[in-house]
Amino acid sequence: MKYDLKIGWLYPDLMSTYGDRGNIIVLKKRCEWRGIKTEVLNLNEEFDAKLLNDINILFMGGAQDTQQEIVAKDFTLNKISALKKKVEDGTPGLYICGAYQFLGRYYKNADGVKIKGLGIFDLHTEHPGDTNKRLIGNVIARSDLVNEMVGFENHGGRTFLGKNLKPFAKVIKGFGNNGEDKTEGAIYKNSIGSYLHGPILPKNPEIADWLISKALEQKYKKKIKLEKLDDSLSQKAKEAILLRISS
Amino acid sequence: MIFFPLLIGKLISFISRFFNLGSGSTWPGHMAIENDPNFIKKILRRNLNLKVILIAGTNGKTTTGKLIQTILEKNGSKVFQNEAGANLLNGVASTLIEESNLTGGLDYDFAIFEIDENTLPLILDNVYPNIIVLLNLFRDQLDRYGEVNIISDKWKKALSLIDKKTNLILNADDPKIAYLGLDTKNVKYFSVRGKEQVIGHASDSAYCPKCGNKLDYKSITFSHLGDWSCKKCGLKRPKPDLENFESYALPGAYNRYNIHTAVLTAKTLGASNEKILIALKDFKPAFGRQEIVEYKGRKIQIFLSKNPASFNQSLETINELKAKHLLLVLNDRIPDGRDVSWIWDVDFENNLKNFKNILVSGDRVYDMALRLKYADRNDAKPYDVVTDAVEDLIDSAPKNDILYILPTYSAMLDLRKILTGKKIL
Repeated sequence: MKYDLKIGWLYPDLMSTYGDRGNIIVLKKRCEWRGIKTEVLNLNEEFDAKLLNDINILFMGGAQDTQQEIVAKDFTLNKISALKKKVEDGTPGLYICGAYQFLGRYYKNADGVKIKGLGIFDLHTEHPGDTNKRLIGNVIARSDLVNEMVGFENHGGRTFLGKNLKPFAKVIKGFGNNGEDKTEGAIYKNSIGSYLHGPILPKNPEIADWLISKALEQKYKKKIKLEKLDDSLSQKAKEAILLRISS
Repeated sequence: MIFFPLLIGKLISFISRFFNLGSGSTWPGHMAIENDPNFIKKILRRNLNLKVILIAGTNGKTTTGKLIQTILEKNGSKVFQNEAGANLLNGVASTLIEESNLTGGLDYDFAIFEIDENTLPLILDNVYPNIIVLLNLFRDQLDRYGEVNIISDKWKKALSLIDKKTNLILNADDPKIAYLGLDTKNVKYFSVRGKEQVIGHASDSAYCPKCGNKLDYKSITFSHLGDWSCKKCGLKRPKPDLENFESYALPGAYNRYNIHTAVLTAKTLGASNEKILIALKDFKPAFGRQEIVEYKGRKIQIFLSKNPASFNQSLETINELKAKHLLLVLNDRIPDGRDVSWIWDVDFENNLKNFKNILVSGDRVYDMALRLKYADRNDAKPYDVVTDAVEDLIDSAPKNDILYILPTYSAMLDLRKILTGKKIL
């Protein structure tokens, strides 16, 4: 049987500062290499909320504050409820850095102003002010999906998870959500939020395959075993980071 | 009293050069500023006839500086410039120590300083420039500089405090740069004619610097540079004072910007068109910027490629030059930026099909190999040791073919050392 998936890329023009589009490239290629047809839908400013309906995987990256403000304005109530529905229905998604913060209840910026979030993830983020240092550097973390997950974080805001939200990973090296409680990211149903750039998927392809599997399962209502790919280059790139941090 | 810092500075500079300690170019300045925070101000105050030109921007500082220096020198002026990369306060102070006599006299007409993006506001506290040249702002080393908007805001603030007589030479095609000239009198704009096309992925500034609305582009040269306008608030690209020149000493659209910038700066200082043309005829590129090095009887051309915009421009230009054999070297040291995520913003997908051999090396060789694999170049060969990569690059290509190397900053310094046997910094 031939499979096909629709990948929805939320705000590629605005939320795409840190090389995060690599995640889209990886999702697309890993499908293509297995004969799964993909279509990437760019959901830019003023996109029609109805487009979300038949999307199988969602992705949104990080950006600068000004860009996030534009996105916040564009997220009308019907877009929020459409996205919420997707997340609740179990549509797999990956939300990085600014997007991850945005999915929470609120973001308190460096000046102490509270900006409402989408309220989809039970979390909030606070920026402790410009005199506090940004959390920058290579990260190693352990999650259920990847034993040694690597990435690069660069964020001013500190994120705190609510009681009902599970962290995505445990920080081994680096700061993670807030530099205090050793948590990194969050996972809710099939949606993953994370601070990791790098981008996250190329060096942690297990996460990409998990998103693809979940998407196929949800669309075709059955378990579909993914063909194994040669990930030796990913492994070598990962090892270089592990070696660097532990030395 | 600036005699002692000068003497000590010159001594440190001599010692570090003598023992080949490498970082000799910024230490003397560092010590001088530690000793007297007003060191730069004081030494310049003794040389009121010296005209200072500051150049800032993400890409093109070194080449533009060298172009301006070449033109001014051909016009009979005495010019000095800070060493490329020594572009923080300590680098500027070191250059002043190096070039002055022991009483702080500078026997020159012009000083050209290329300035790091973050350092521009600090420099403007210490220096009264005649001309400030602002080239462009692209995403670059986000772990060090932060986001593009943060830098342009800092610049706007710093520029609002400078002497109104200062001449600004600004890029009309870069919205954030052009916006800095709004409400300013002594400003001239350069541009490069683009063509009608869709804005590419690695673009940073496609939003109105005034009202934040998405910009419209009539034409694009590359990245977010082009003929822009805002439908909402009416802000639009200022009319360029220079958008064409008779001859180009270097290939690539980015070098057309550098050349236009230098020509406009020189004209602002009174240089004639003929003199500029003659000066640029035998212009030699700055080290690592399209520089051709002879190594083991082979021609190797180095294209410094340090961020998505500069990498895309390098790829486009070497494709125009019909390059076949390519070595990419990716490092992640402090001068390169420690985060290599940016390679995923480079448009490898559309720029790799003409290369016969692709080799990769550097501290993050496997990140680059992985990136190329996802751009359908699974055949790119990784090398842990960069000298092995260079030898294989030579062996893999026919004798008369030029070999191309695209390195990040620290990789470029290493490569030059290998290829020329000399250290530059």
